[in-house]
Amino acid sequence: MAPQQPLVNLSPAELSFLRSTLAQSPPIRLDVTKGPRDFRSMRAEYDVLPAANGSARIALEDGTEALVGVKAEVERSRPRPTLGEQEEVATAAGGAADESRGKGQNSWVEMSVEVPGFREDDALPVFLASMLTESLLASGELKDRLYINTRFHWKLYVDILLLSPPLSYPLALLSMTTHLALLTTHLPALKSEKDEDPLFDDDWAAAVPLYPNRADANKTAPQLGKPPVIILAMAVGSNIIFDPAKEELAVADAVLAVACTNSTSSSTGARIVSIRTIDPPSHLTPPGVPNSINSATGGTVPTSSADALTQRELLANSGVWTPPRGGMKRGLVSQITKMVVESGGVAEEVIGALAAIEVG
Amino acid sequence: MPISILPPSAPLPPRRDVRPDDSDVDMSDDDDFPTHASKSIVTPGEHITSDPQWMRGHGTYIPSQPANSTTIISTVAGTLHKTNKLLSVQPLRARYQPEIGDLVVGRIISVGTKKWSVDIAAPMLANLPLSSINLPGGVLRRRTTVDELNIRTFFQEADLLVAEVQNLHADGTASLHTRSLKYGKLRNGLFTSLSGAGGGILSRKGGVVRSRRQVFTLNTVAGEVDIVLGVNGHIFISKHVKTAADQKEVGINRLDESVTETLYSSENDDIEKGVMREITRVSTLIRGLVACGAKVDEDMIVKVYEGAVELEAEERSLGGVERGIGAKGIVEAVLERLALEAGD
Repeated sequence: MAPQQPLVNLSPAELSFLRSTLAQSPPIRLDVTKGPRDFRSMRAEYDVLPAANGSARIALEDGTEALVGVKAEVERSRPRPTLGEQEEVATAAGGAADESRGKGQNSWVEMSVEVPGFREDDALPVFLASMLTESLLASGELKDRLYINTRFHWKLYVDILLLSPPLSYPLALLSMTTHLALLTTHLPALKSEKDEDPLFDDDWAAAVPLYPNRADANKTAPQLGKPPVIILAMAVGSNIIFDPAKEELAVADAVLAVACTNSTSSSTGARIVSIRTIDPPSHLTPPGVPNSINSATGGTVPTSSADALTQRELLANSGVWTPPRGGMKRGLVSQITKMVVESGGVAEEVIGALAAIEVG
Repeated sequence: MPISILPPSAPLPPRRDVRPDDSDVDMSDDDDFPTHASKSIVTPGEHITSDPQWMRGHGTYIPSQPANSTTIISTVAGTLHKTNKLLSVQPLRARYQPEIGDLVVGRIISVGTKKWSVDIAAPMLANLPLSSINLPGGVLRRRTTVDELNIRTFFQEADLLVAEVQNLHADGTASLHTRSLKYGKLRNGLFTSLSGAGGGILSRKGGVVRSRRQVFTLNTVAGEVDIVLGVNGHIFISKHVKTAADQKEVGINRLDESVTETLYSSENDDIEKGVMREITRVSTLIRGLVACGAKVDEDMIVKVYEGAVELEAEERSLGGVERGIGAKGIVEAVLERLALEAGD
């Protein structure tokens, strides 16, 4: 395999230029037509894989493309040692609706992420997979839906393929594609009852969606949220920019991945299921050499590395690229989460746009 | 519109600047030819014809195995072109093939003891020997071991430079040189890369056009902006910096006066906000031009830029002007207007 390309391959002068454009107010993005809250336009379709229970494909305008297939399989549950045998009998009699509540297991959802040019156990695919699984299982609703009876359950395999090399950090794209695939996932309707061996309706038209729509859902049944969507936001100075492109990410001060799902109450537009900071690639960029210590530009090379360091510190705020240091300020995190979650916020728009494709 | 999701699209629209039938075809109707439509795409290994009257051109070969075979087979995926009795296949996507004298924009990939390896989007990395660059101050002398030790002060990994292809080796690698005041390290601006061959064989199908002026200054609303169109599809747009070279042509013996100290600087000058915005706008427009399949040259960039400025002014005064999404939408709207004006 070819050696790994460095994550950022931009010269110090370019990085410095990009940073100064993004630090303007309002920020000038790489694509001038986009504002800080605008996403890159994308093309999406679903039910692309005939043999999968649900599938989706999303292509971004820069050529990054992701394909997600969801497959479900009936698996025999391993009998779990339970502490209160009596109590379980009591709840089973309670009602069919909450029969499955709390019985789901995290291992029932298996996710694999394939990124071309990366091994399965490389840091990027592993991190992407864990991030996506974490947000998917966070609410606990999905795994409970996979419960069939005490002896059987559905095992859900979510296979995520990035079809193109990761031009920009692919987390947001993969999560949106997964969201769309899960929204369109259908499971065969169950015909058997209780603890019988499961028997399914072989009519695919009668299959039940994994995430039932609000409209046709049983009113008494607990309302299921939609699958989560991860939104990437980055900060440059005091500007907050959503859905950064690769070059923009290369000068980020901090990057935050916020996983949201639709809210069941009406006070906010969405609710957060998980949140993570991502180490921006800008931390790994080499600093630019200021003219004053570059012998090729008439400067004098500092005699010691300590001397070089002091000189660099003094020039930190000029046109020389210095990689950002430190993490994210608390105020910035709360500002981002507010912009994502508020009603009419970014999360609501994204979830709404993804739901609109499913209808139309 | 913070987010726009579209249904999947059909393949790219046909290039605007290519007439549907642009090869000077002189076909007699009597030959039964398997692929009639010039739009049809052939794939590598596909038999094009076995009629002996055709000659093979670029992108095709005749297998040697069965002696005196006349089968013409495609070696690339692309469209078939017929020029009288010559068959050639133009690849859909190809890498840039360097030629001597090409102006290219490249990026340093690795630094050796006496040379740099430069990515110029060609199949192989190009070389830039230490002896083919201008020394700071313009001094003319042999390169010493001191220069070899200080090689990173001139160009470092990931640095961008504009250079000319000096010669080609047998294996297809190119040697570059920057021994002119026009060439050297790039700064104060934004780099844009167009996918595929920016020039070369695809020159008549959009992308950067060879044999036109490739380094020029664009007058924008905020100030002058320099544009370097590398034939390899790499484009650099930067703030125009007035140098001594602008005023007068300098001779080789006065090189030292005009080679400024900032030749190898990796520090940006102060750029005004307006200029920054125009630089990014031009780069966005160029990407839009490529997305529309138009060719990229000085005329086109100037026209589209002026059109886009007009469009923005109208949008501001009249409210929304109907156009598509993003850069492609703007360029499409501008091109439509230009086509209308040309028609009147």
